[in-house]
Amino acid sequence: MKKMLRSTSFKSAALIVIVSGAISLGFILRETKQESIKPMAGSAVSLPDAAVKRADIPGLPAPDDESKAVPLYGNWKNFTSKDGLPADKCYCVRIDGDRVLVGTHGGLAVYEKGKWKTYTSKDGLSHNGIVSIDVSELTGDVWLGTLGGLTKWSGGKFEIFNQFNSGMPNDLVYMVICDGRDVWCATGGGAGHYNTFTKEWEIFTEMNAPMHEPWTYGISAGDGKIFIAAWGGGIIEYNTKTKQFRDYVDPDGFMEIDLQPDDGVVHDITTATSWADGILWVSTYFGMSRYDGKYWKGYFKEDSGLASNFINFLRAEGPVAYMCTDDGFSSTNGTNWVTYRRNTNDANGVAVVTTGGVKKEIPQTPSIAHNFIIGVDGQDDVIWVATSKGVSRGERLKL
Amino acid sequence: MRRFALSIGTIFFLALLVFIPFKKWARDHVNFKTAVDDHPLLCTNCHLYIVKDGLIARMVNREYLSPMNITVSGDGSKIYITAQDGNALIIADALNDKVLNKIDVGQKPYGVIIDKTGRFAYVSNQWSDNISVVDLGTLKVVDSLATGNGPSGISFSQDEKFLYVVNSYSSDLTVIDLASGIESKRLATGSNPTGIQLSPDGKDIYVTARRAILVPYGEPMATELTVVNGESNRIKDYLKVESAYMMENVAFTPSGDLAFVTLIRPKNLVPTIQVERGWMMNHGFGVIEQNGAGRIIQLLTDEPQAYYSDPYDIVITPDGKKAFISNSGVNTITVIDIDSVKALISESTPEMLELWPDNLGVSSRYVIKRIPTGNNPKGLALSPDGKYLFVAEHLQDRVSIINTTTLEPEGTIELGGPGKVTVPRHGRRLLNNAGRTFQNQYSCYTCHPDEHEDGLMYNMASKDMGRNITNTQSLRDISDTPPFKWNGKNQTVFKQDGIRFSTVLTRTEQFSYKDLDAITSHIMTGIPYPPNLQFNPDGNLTEAQLRGKKIFERTTDNFGREIPVNNRCVTCHPAPYYTNLKPSDVSTLAASDDSMLFDTPHLNNIYASPPYLHDGRAKTLEEIWTLYGKDDRHGLTSDMTKIELNELVEYLKSLRSPDYDAKGSEIQKASFKR
Amino acid sequence: MFPSRNVLKLIVLFFPASVILLTACGKRSMEGMLIVTEMKGLNGDPDYITGESWRYLPQTRLIAIDPEDGDKAPLILTSGFFSARFPEVSHDGTHLLFAAQKNQDDPWQIWEMELAGLEAHQVTNSSENSIDPAYLPGRRIVFCREMVNDSLKAGHTLFTCNLDGSDIRRITFNPATYFAASVLMDGRIICNSRQIYPSIEDPAIMALRPDGTKAELFYKGEVSAELFGRSWETTDGKIVFIEADAGDSGRKRLTSIRYNRPLHTRNDLSSSLPGDFLSVFPASNGKLLVSYRPGENEPSALYEFDTEKMILGQQIYKSAEGNIIEAVEVAIHEKPRKLPSELDHEVKTGLLLCQNINVSGLKPSSGKYSLPAADRIEIIGIDSSLGVVEVEEDGSFYLKVSADMPFRIRTLNSAGNVINGPGSWYWVRPNERRGCVGCHEDHEMTPANRYSLAVGKKPVAVPVHLTNISEKKVELE
Repeated sequence: MKKMLRSTSFKSAALIVIVSGAISLGFILRETKQESIKPMAGSAVSLPDAAVKRADIPGLPAPDDESKAVPLYGNWKNFTSKDGLPADKCYCVRIDGDRVLVGTHGGLAVYEKGKWKTYTSKDGLSHNGIVSIDVSELTGDVWLGTLGGLTKWSGGKFEIFNQFNSGMPNDLVYMVICDGRDVWCATGGGAGHYNTFTKEWEIFTEMNAPMHEPWTYGISAGDGKIFIAAWGGGIIEYNTKTKQFRDYVDPDGFMEIDLQPDDGVVHDITTATSWADGILWVSTYFGMSRYDGKYWKGYFKEDSGLASNFINFLRAEGPVAYMCTDDGFSSTNGTNWVTYRRNTNDANGVAVVTTGGVKKEIPQTPSIAHNFIIGVDGQDDVIWVATSKGVSRGERLKL
Repeated sequence: MRRFALSIGTIFFLALLVFIPFKKWARDHVNFKTAVDDHPLLCTNCHLYIVKDGLIARMVNREYLSPMNITVSGDGSKIYITAQDGNALIIADALNDKVLNKIDVGQKPYGVIIDKTGRFAYVSNQWSDNISVVDLGTLKVVDSLATGNGPSGISFSQDEKFLYVVNSYSSDLTVIDLASGIESKRLATGSNPTGIQLSPDGKDIYVTARRAILVPYGEPMATELTVVNGESNRIKDYLKVESAYMMENVAFTPSGDLAFVTLIRPKNLVPTIQVERGWMMNHGFGVIEQNGAGRIIQLLTDEPQAYYSDPYDIVITPDGKKAFISNSGVNTITVIDIDSVKALISESTPEMLELWPDNLGVSSRYVIKRIPTGNNPKGLALSPDGKYLFVAEHLQDRVSIINTTTLEPEGTIELGGPGKVTVPRHGRRLLNNAGRTFQNQYSCYTCHPDEHEDGLMYNMASKDMGRNITNTQSLRDISDTPPFKWNGKNQTVFKQDGIRFSTVLTRTEQFSYKDLDAITSHIMTGIPYPPNLQFNPDGNLTEAQLRGKKIFERTTDNFGREIPVNNRCVTCHPAPYYTNLKPSDVSTLAASDDSMLFDTPHLNNIYASPPYLHDGRAKTLEEIWTLYGKDDRHGLTSDMTKIELNELVEYLKSLRSPDYDAKGSEIQKASFKR
Repeated sequence: MFPSRNVLKLIVLFFPASVILLTACGKRSMEGMLIVTEMKGLNGDPDYITGESWRYLPQTRLIAIDPEDGDKAPLILTSGFFSARFPEVSHDGTHLLFAAQKNQDDPWQIWEMELAGLEAHQVTNSSENSIDPAYLPGRRIVFCREMVNDSLKAGHTLFTCNLDGSDIRRITFNPATYFAASVLMDGRIICNSRQIYPSIEDPAIMALRPDGTKAELFYKGEVSAELFGRSWETTDGKIVFIEADAGDSGRKRLTSIRYNRPLHTRNDLSSSLPGDFLSVFPASNGKLLVSYRPGENEPSALYEFDTEKMILGQQIYKSAEGNIIEAVEVAIHEKPRKLPSELDHEVKTGLLLCQNINVSGLKPSSGKYSLPAADRIEIIGIDSSLGVVEVEEDGSFYLKVSADMPFRIRTLNSAGNVINGPGSWYWVRPNERRGCVGCHEDHEMTPANRYSLAVGKKPVAVPVHLTNISEKKVELE
């Protein structure tokens, strides 16, 4: 597969199409897999979230280190097209003050004052498939990465940037972030940088950055740097001051397994990256990595609380990273884990708390909307999770 | 005596031998240049008045002040005027009608405001991309605040913690934190904004725009009025003002129930077949309701047989009863009775409100006076008590004072410009005045605001209607880029503005030859490009622009194959104007075009002239190749990566007038750096 | 010998110089005087269709009087004519244009007189009457000519020609009659116009360019009101004229309208005065010269009228012979704009665009302006239909019409029933391009800035049976 990725640009173009269908493919695989899963022990016992006590749950933080704790969420409320979403397949979610923005396969959904309002390409979106959302802290403008270009939503107006009318690298936008006056996007044709002050575009591909292919899948900002999750190229770090690049790849070079543990990013095919509290988190379809600036640490389903090695997306907030996998939703501070998974035969599920190899299942009623998780965002004591069958809102449980 | 007579006769005979053929040659030469056979044989018309530089140019021209905008001190004793061509802030005694001080600021000062303490004046320098902070005690420029490109209108936030600056060229709003003097954010506005006004409650900031949203020809046009939340400094709304553009300025009623914006309603989607009945341009204002549904109602100030072109500024008296609009193209102040406007709106059905914007008679309901002024009235300001209106007479170097009760002029303040009206200055007055158009319906300025272009496509219908749609071309620095018009049929500006111009465009008596020579003189010598401060401030190109330059000048493609000479960018677009002055076919002829070649356009400041191509089909420079140049007949580009195309575009955006390579530092010397 | 040559040269130079000097003095000699049309009797009811007892009056004469010296005997200017009237002074104040009958049975012709030498030369020479002349810029004039057996069923028609009578051109092409031409400062001609076929309609003031293009309604009075005389534009933006009431009284009122909005600014300046005003002329002092009679059986005299106070001023001149029916002032006045012409006589057609046939003008009472939707139009000629044309979805149509051919338009629905019209007569001149917003639209409406679907196609030829029009192809500018 790697050889194929390193072949001609024509093939890589074809790859963009193929991999863009990967998520959908994942849906099918996962949904088939789930049918074989038996109900987990104890999941039949359904305790109301409010009844959960810290003492019952080993591994959850003591009150004195609350700030580093992995929060436990419950009281899930799920929303689907029946509730007003333009589609059930939700790719991303972003909390913007009093409202929540959800990117779906059928357009943008905005949840405000208990009601959903939807927007589609008829309203001016560049494409209905919205896979990434970010909000500029500086201007409040909403940037939407879609399967057909980048859309800026400001003052009720949708402004489209695409590869034909602007310096956009490519219309297949997997990720968009706002970093001060700059907007960065990860696209099928490279990473794009747009300076909203000068209106200038920069493109980074294998031609001018240490990438193997132009295709980029994730991007994040932090510590004066931009981190690009480049397909087959691991993580590309770009220093916005020195304009210098550095890449982090899998030293063992094996695509199939992580031969040498903790020697670097677990796999060169990276899907997302997020920087917070001095830690760089990287997700792949083969596990997750954590980099503290000196050492790398790899995490896999087999040796941690990670729901699955097939990670679509991750986001770090403070000390905690939230992983969106094809078989549930996980969160960790690097030591402790909380993974949420829905039962296959009903709307309930469990929150699996893992610490020091000890797992404790907490029944949840209801659970998240679906186990194929694609996006997440949290603020204060609320978390929103985008899944292939709707979006879920969870509340932090006061224990 | 006989010998004397003989020698005189010989000299006379020899002189005749020279004079007769010379006169014939001169006649043929002038006939060619003017495309008529009766233009006076005056060598000075060309060889004196259209010389751009050097001793002759200095002899012909004078240094005018050109007052642009005005503000009045809190106690009403002084007025502060930006002198656009004088690069100065002029302070005048409002009570004794005399100039007190003249303070050098940046290039092309536009707006001026005074803080609540009355100690500092803030002047936006449109060609310096900064704000001059003037200490009114020491009369010195004490600071310079960096802005976006082309700062024009300015306003304080309610608490004066922030300064809002409208960037007219980069189409955004700079928000400066006055505590640090640093630009804290930049908010995107409508296209080519100029005016700004804070609502009386300080909650909203309205920013006007002059250019319309880019849409394909034939689709309804609209221009955006940007509303910014005055508390969060975030975009609140973009109000679409339908079928209108050139919204220069905005004003609120003191109660804040209505906002008024000046506007023009062009008829660019209607074939230009007649001027009668307002078939070319209408002028008026928009009323934006601040309460209820927030409707936007448009009303004209024109009348069925008389037009009041180029509305620029608008101010409203403190009692909220009268609005004054400066009609720059007809040297008039139009006075609006606001209660009558409110009454008309309240008694009109929705259907009638839809019709009023296209009704020329309704203005008699609310226009209560037309007050004549000097040449080209621009900025307006009211005394704090609202008793006097001050008018910046832009091309008169004068401020006139109008009594707002009697609505009669009550005096003038001469600002100290040269008394003499030079030939080019007379031409500039003509270009900015609608008097040479049937019923004053529009001036050259109307379609060429700032003597540039208005970003619209027109169906000039000189042949069949609906055919040969053309994008307005800029008048900036065109003297060395003949021929003119997209089809290059006019070899000189003399011909461009001659008899055919009056037959198909102004539809009234053609320019006298004296006036034709004057307007030609101004167009050929007096319309420079603004400095390209956004993309090429000092002539040092960025790395991306340098790479783009290589692509622009390349002779081989990415596969090492030689690019045919006639398919290289630089072949048809050579420096310094980036045109070879020849017609060419870049495969952009539309089905609705007659078969023709297009004059190769010059490219300096091309970033400022969207949309692109002869019919404006390309909204951005990128689209010229991504959408309309796929066949490689507009230069070979199909081998380029997107990175290379971006770099080519970055280079094109950097192109600027060659004058700035020589004058760059001089142009910038008044541009104070922090 | 050498000096004697110089003397000779001086003598040679002296004569033309003195001639020029004398001529120049002469040219100024009548400045400030008034030229008045005087008539012995004023009998018979005016016929507004034929002009009898109205435009055509027997034994009228032009006299020059000095308003400063009422006792001074008037100077008779047209002693050699059976009847002369319609005076207009040239813009430079040196010449007088008028219409006159040399002998009783002669047709009326246009004449021009040099005021310095009182030499008159005949401008027109036709077998039909030519009256109501007015100066155009560029040494041309406009006048009304009576048409006999006109194929367009016109009554009196507007013509223009050079001051020497050459290059005579007809500029109106509809079954109407035109009287009392005048020239506005904007360069257009205004004149009293009335449709006479197929029905006789009320009169109106029409405005059109001197080449006959862009003819449009300028002013229309109340129902059945008559336009009695010629209109004049004042220097303060008004048009003044005499309007006669409908009905038997036919009281002739001094009326003004504003140039800027002529259709809705009618002002009866004489409302407080009894009697009739027979003519008006704006004097250089800002006052109006009016011929006025207090009662129907009293002779009309020349007065000054104050438009500010709306009162009759002092009597300037009263004729011992009879009535004063017109007066003009000898003065230099501003020349109107000389309008360019888009005509090309090698082109046989003109183009007409209508934005939306279903727009029919605002009716403020209801606020409604749309009629039941029509989807086609019928173009009607003088005595036959010129064809039916389907309009576009947006209601627009685009026609290429044979030039100088009168036509009217009515709108039809898909069943062929008439929705609106036919309206008034139109014509287009060779290579003229003109447009209208709708059918019977509000005359103060301006077009919406909308692309009309019709202009995306070729124009429909009218008459529709024309399949091939051989004419000059117009080149792109």
